[in-house]
Amino acid sequence: MTELTKVVMRLDGVAEAHRLDVYEANGGYKALRKVLGEMKPQEVIDEVKASGLRGKGGAGFPAGLKWSFVPQDHPGPKYLACNADEGEPGTFKDRWIIENNPHQMIEGCIICAYAVGLSHIYVYCRGEFYEGKRKIEQAAKEAYEKGYLGDNILGSGFSTHLTVHTGAGSYECGEETALLTSLEGGRGHPKIKPPFPASEGAWRKPTVINNVETLATVPAVISQGARWHAGMGTEKSKGIKMVCVSGHVERPGIYEVEFGVPISAIINDLAGGVWQGRQIKGYFPGGSSTPVLPAEKVDVPYDYESIAEAGSMLGSGALIVFDSETDIVRMAEVITRFYAWESCGKCTPCREGTRWMLQIYERILNGGGRMEDLELLLSICDNLEFKSFCPFGDAAVSVVRSTVSLYRDEYEEYIREHKVYRRRFTPVKH
Amino acid sequence: MTVSVQLHPELRKWVEERLSRYPTRRSLLVPTLIQAQKYHDYASPGLMQAVADLLQMPASEVMSVASFYTLIAKHPVGKHIIQVCHNVSCYLRGCDEVIARLEERLGCKVGETTEDGKFTLITVECLAACGSAPVMMVDEKLYENVRPDQIGRILAEAN
Ligand SMILES: Cc1cc2nc3c(=O)[nH]c(=O)nc-3n(C[C@H](O)[C@H](O)[C@H](O)COP(=O)(O)O)c2cc1C
Ligand code: FES
Repeated sequence: MTELTKVVMRLDGVAEAHRLDVYEANGGYKALRKVLGEMKPQEVIDEVKASGLRGKGGAGFPAGLKWSFVPQDHPGPKYLACNADEGEPGTFKDRWIIENNPHQMIEGCIICAYAVGLSHIYVYCRGEFYEGKRKIEQAAKEAYEKGYLGDNILGSGFSTHLTVHTGAGSYECGEETALLTSLEGGRGHPKIKPPFPASEGAWRKPTVINNVETLATVPAVISQGARWHAGMGTEKSKGIKMVCVSGHVERPGIYEVEFGVPISAIINDLAGGVWQGRQIKGYFPGGSSTPVLPAEKVDVPYDYESIAEAGSMLGSGALIVFDSETDIVRMAEVITRFYAWESCGKCTPCREGTRWMLQIYERILNGGGRMEDLELLLSICDNLEFKSFCPFGDAAVSVVRSTVSLYRDEYEEYIREHKVYRRRFTPVKH
Repeated sequence: MTVSVQLHPELRKWVEERLSRYPTRRSLLVPTLIQAQKYHDYASPGLMQAVADLLQMPASEVMSVASFYTLIAKHPVGKHIIQVCHNVSCYLRGCDEVIARLEERLGCKVGETTEDGKFTLITVECLAACGSAPVMMVDEKLYENVRPDQIGRILAEAN
């Protein structure tokens, strides 16, 4: 039986864990006291580096390394943007952290701010997280009152502040540079890299951007040590991950496991297997932006390297399972519509390419597809991938290319037989 | 020229309390427009003009930014906003039936407002609640594992 390894979710089931007194009674803010009392900022960075902690927002970039890129001698303010925009379809872990254990994320933010010398923490929270925003604001208020935030934190001489900033319904604003543009009061358009945010980020000041789950793991890394964290998982994917399982399984939910467990074990042991006694047809290992893997590849170990070798990505940890009855073409249309409508419009390949792909899907589902459409789809993919301004374009082609190659017969059946998908409602863009 | 509306004093206060937390005034633009919808019906041209004056930036830029974000209503909407997720995990677990039932019960289509002005129905992208799909929100309240036969009760609750 596959075991859960609860680290970020260690207070799962503890009543009122979002309250400061409950969090403290369970060892909360001990890691912050430790770094302020016993560790130099560089030692904190070194510890996080040694732990092997990788970013949980999608790219898996080593957190300590990212922190070390910020110039230490930079005069003036430096910032932390905590990415709580959680928009990748299939992902629902950051919302859990924010609503159930916001102090663990805040403690991680303060430790990061101390290590890198950041004067202000902006928690960029997606607009629909009404309850989440209230929870973080309440937690921040408690932390200010207790002296964990503000000037001269716990008498250490270190000061940092925290502000919750709301998004307003845009997936692209989860992309780190678009997030910064939005924070500055603009349309959520990405910025060119380099300069990287670590040297020139929000308001052109050095800025660290990390995901909620990444930051919420930091207190445990400090309390229990880099060696403890590095001892979990695999050689290259160290530690644990909150895996969000959704779609056609008996028990959808968040399961925090060590990297390296077989994906089939997550689906069958933890999420109760495919629902209604059906067979699995395929799955997205890391959200709608990652290529679909077929049923035959369900035993792949859950770590960055193994999933990459299998032809996809671990992404944000969103495991979306679909069963043998799934209409692949319609599912791909749902996702392609999402990318077409959420493209920020800044660059032509993405703005136009995603819409062309959507038009082709609509044509096929309306019974008017042409066999050449499949080559046309693949050719748009080629002209979109790695040619868009930011990785949004690469994300948009994943489902198209992977499903056309894995389930081509289903596309051909629609086209050959002029099969019409009967819509229950007409999607409208707002 | 657009005539600006009088901003609600609570909104002004809300903005002024937060200005010191940012290096520039315009950083507060998106949060201000979101907050404004608590006091004003929607982000009308007059409201955007007033926000532009408050944040000391051109009204054209306020409108450009507002037009980017779906949670900022640029036209009048109903008293309650219904947001139903139509993304992949919710699709896999039957959101199409939920949306069809909503259209039927409300007597309006996705993107429209009921004739009595009570509800605006829109579909939205993944609400980060896929573990309890299909999901929908009525204003700030999230409903999980929604079945079509629950729609009547959910609507009655909001009324
Ligand atoms: C289109 C797009 C959307 C993204 N959305 C999110 C998001 O909602 N949350 C998130 O943490 N990262 C998101 N990312 C990844 C961020 O750009 C960034 O890599 C991440 O926040 C860095 O944090 P980490 O190193 O701790 O993972 C997105 C990236 C792209 C290209
Ligand atoms: S797909 Fe509907 S909440 Fe995620």
